[in-house]
Amino acid sequence: MNSPELFCPEFALLLGALLSFACAAIGTSARTAWMVSLAAAIIAVGTSALALPYEGQPFFADIYTVDAFSQVLKLGISMALLFAIAIAQRQDSTCSQARPEVHFFFYLSSLGMMMLVSATELLTLYVALELSAYGLYILAALHRRERIGSEAAAKYILFGAAASAISLYGISLIYGATQTTYIAQIASSGGSPLLIAGIVLTLAGVLYKLAAFPVHAWAPDTYQGAPHEASVFLGTASKVAAVGLLLRVLSMAGSEAEFLRTTLIVVSVLSMSVGNLSALFQKDFKRLLGFSAVAHAGYLLLGLLCFSKLGAAAAIFYVLTYVPIVVCAFLVISAISTNGCNPSIASLAGLYKRSPLLGLVLLVAMFGLAGIPPTPGLAGKWFLFSAVIENGHLWLVLVAAINATISLYYYLMVVKAAYLAPPEDDEGEIRLSPTYAITAFVAIALVVFMGFYPAPIWTLASTAASALF
Amino acid sequence: MSDLPILSIILFCPLVAFVATILLPESKATAIKSVNAFAGLVSLILSLIIWSQYDKAAGGFQMMEDIPWVSEIGIHYAIGVDGISVVLTLLNAIVFFTGVLSMWTLEKRVKEYFAFMSLLVFGVFGVFISLDIFVFFFFYEVAVLPMYPLIAIWGSTRKEYSAMKLTLFLMVGSALLFPGLIALYVESGGETWNLVTLSAQGTFSKGFQIFIYPLLYVGFGILAGMWPFHSWSPIGHVAAPTAVSMLHAGVLMKLGAYGILRIAIGVLPLGAAFWAPTFAFAATVGIVYGAFVAMRQTDFKYVIGFSSVSHMGIVLLGLNTLGVDGTNGAVFQMFAHGVMTALFFSAVGFIYDQTHDRDIRNFGGLVGQIPVATSFFIMAALCGMGVPGFASFWAELLVFIAALKVFPLMGIAAIAGLIFTAAYILRVLGKAIFGPKNPKWDHLVEPTAFLTIPRIILIAVLLFFGFVPSVMLDMIGSVTGGR
Repeated sequence: MNSPELFCPEFALLLGALLSFACAAIGTSARTAWMVSLAAAIIAVGTSALALPYEGQPFFADIYTVDAFSQVLKLGISMALLFAIAIAQRQDSTCSQARPEVHFFFYLSSLGMMMLVSATELLTLYVALELSAYGLYILAALHRRERIGSEAAAKYILFGAAASAISLYGISLIYGATQTTYIAQIASSGGSPLLIAGIVLTLAGVLYKLAAFPVHAWAPDTYQGAPHEASVFLGTASKVAAVGLLLRVLSMAGSEAEFLRTTLIVVSVLSMSVGNLSALFQKDFKRLLGFSAVAHAGYLLLGLLCFSKLGAAAAIFYVLTYVPIVVCAFLVISAISTNGCNPSIASLAGLYKRSPLLGLVLLVAMFGLAGIPPTPGLAGKWFLFSAVIENGHLWLVLVAAINATISLYYYLMVVKAAYLAPPEDDEGEIRLSPTYAITAFVAIALVVFMGFYPAPIWTLASTAASALF
Repeated sequence: MSDLPILSIILFCPLVAFVATILLPESKATAIKSVNAFAGLVSLILSLIIWSQYDKAAGGFQMMEDIPWVSEIGIHYAIGVDGISVVLTLLNAIVFFTGVLSMWTLEKRVKEYFAFMSLLVFGVFGVFISLDIFVFFFFYEVAVLPMYPLIAIWGSTRKEYSAMKLTLFLMVGSALLFPGLIALYVESGGETWNLVTLSAQGTFSKGFQIFIYPLLYVGFGILAGMWPFHSWSPIGHVAAPTAVSMLHAGVLMKLGAYGILRIAIGVLPLGAAFWAPTFAFAATVGIVYGAFVAMRQTDFKYVIGFSSVSHMGIVLLGLNTLGVDGTNGAVFQMFAHGVMTALFFSAVGFIYDQTHDRDIRNFGGLVGQIPVATSFFIMAALCGMGVPGFASFWAELLVFIAALKVFPLMGIAAIAGLIFTAAYILRVLGKAIFGPKNPKWDHLVEPTAFLTIPRIILIAVLLFFGFVPSVMLDMIGSVTGGR
């Protein structure tokens, strides 16, 4: 199949981008812009779901590939987009004149991400990478308090520019080594030291997107300083795209996978250890989630470093289930944040009383991140660890599992704050808007369903992985 | 009748109670309690039906159900029971039902309490009946985590510290189990997680078994309170509210011992044979050490907490003899100790609820003040000493006979530990229950007739299996092959 309809999830996003741009241009209220954007996001999710079975190359041969792999990740990206827009109903933390514009950047960035997971040629891939990044750079800067927003954006953009430059250099080395920019041809070209050097350098830009060590330092600052809806988008959609990108880049290694594996093992162990140990000392809830994201990048890498179908499927499963879990956490943040301030962990006190539903959402989020059933966090880790042991790295699983134990401590501290401490006197009941209540129910239902019955998502993930291996 | 998925029904009893508890409003406290008590009663009746339906002559796993779950990587919702699971399922049902009744007077955050508690019980049932490693581990984690809020919210005495310590210890155990359990799957060829298939002889090489066994033994052993990783257990017992202590010591610690028996020893027999002397030694130290420490405690619950370390040491010693008698005794002891500690904590909890004091030195002559309430404590104490007529007498006897045959020196040391056990129990009885009367507690009231029901059930169970141990041994023997 070579028709333009293969491109329909991207078209849906493009439509959303144009509509929200129009809304911003004619100066509609933030509320109208939000409703238009929400409707477009629902259409995008529907289109992505319908496009799941598509396969083919809509443009020139081998540049842009639509296969099970790209389509599953596109569904993940559009789900994350929908959740982020639902959370953007409350924009207390966004600077007021930019509120209608936020949606345009959401769509533009998601479009970049979708193209990223389909790109099978290095220049296309690089252009898509930049397209997805620019929207995020701006989103990160939109906090209503200028200083916080500038810091978040400056760190993100400087890191991003550096990582992207390194990637570009890596791509030039790869081209030098193989005289081609087509991923399929590079993979079959037979390895050379130059190619490996190129891939390792390219990885810099990719690991930056995933917030993995050593290019993770932006994550806590940007999570903390970006508006809530931008943080949740950054923490979910961006991760899904990064997993897709990483799998594509790693597939270039071909026969030289062994050396890369050693590098990735080091990156993975350091990511989870640095993320978890730093998160232990955080007081700001969003910052804690930033470090937790670094740790989760480490877990995700476990699946990727296996270079096997099981490993890729486990990583895809993990990141797909990670989306609603992180959404749960940010839903609570956005709902309890007053005047756009970041909630501290202590300010969660008495949440169980102020809003039992939010208390439950938070519990699900923390248990999900910690990998406690009945959330898919356990199944996700189980599959990742299975892939790693199949690869023969028993000790690596032990390291990861002990890391998960460490992380449980700070996740439980959050639960403790919400469930044990009594509410402050001046803080009354929290009233949730219908959108937030529905989002909460949907997210919890998704998480618990996937926790009890992981089979459907696993089937998706494993179909996606078999397109690569 | 035989067509009904009776195991799934018993498994989902507490889950139904959980959902109902979530849906009921906080104000309907009695309704919440009733729903949970009803679920407990149904699961108790069902577990008795399972007991009577289980065909001991045929043995093996029965009432099996098998539904593909994540079929692409061989995970099945596979459940079934053998003689050992039947016994432990009954134990869980007894403790669940009596635990709900013991907490009938709870007033603080009733809804959340019963939600977490029924979730815990759901997990425990799941572990005892699952035959698939993933499903087993899933339920194992479901059972462990509710402990944190249950202790941290409703507990006493440094509750937040104890809850966190307990959770982290158990999670370190899980961290060891992750690689151990998954290695079984990968090493066997990556086809199945089914325990029955994996237990077949010759699946795993001896070197692999010796390598993996300690991961599984220690991973599960931490939950079973094995020395030297027991320190979470007494403080957890002390901090927990009554019914949680009952569940924790009565059932949760058995999950660890059950995991060792079913997976570590069941799947890796050669590894078990290699490591048995080492772990038997640790178990013996646990028996003696627990009893010693219990002698010096001044808090009722600490005494029982350390006695649990000691009694679970007996279970682990029995398992490590790897023989028929030792295993029979160990499983019997799991059951007897479960019921006995439930009774202990139930009795102490009743006194503490009124006095808010658990210091043994502050009491004296309680038997004259509240004879009925103390009689429950005395019954549990007699059982704890292993007095003939109570279930634990037979259990300990079997373990010690087996231990003397296999590890004579450790057997003697363990039996010597019994003397200390008698000493610390008699010390508590002498100081707090008998002895000179402390007039401060003259105002204490006896339990209502309703509140005596759970305690009487527990005592009846202990005495029944004390006088008719063959009922129990026939059931366990259908697995181990001995009577």
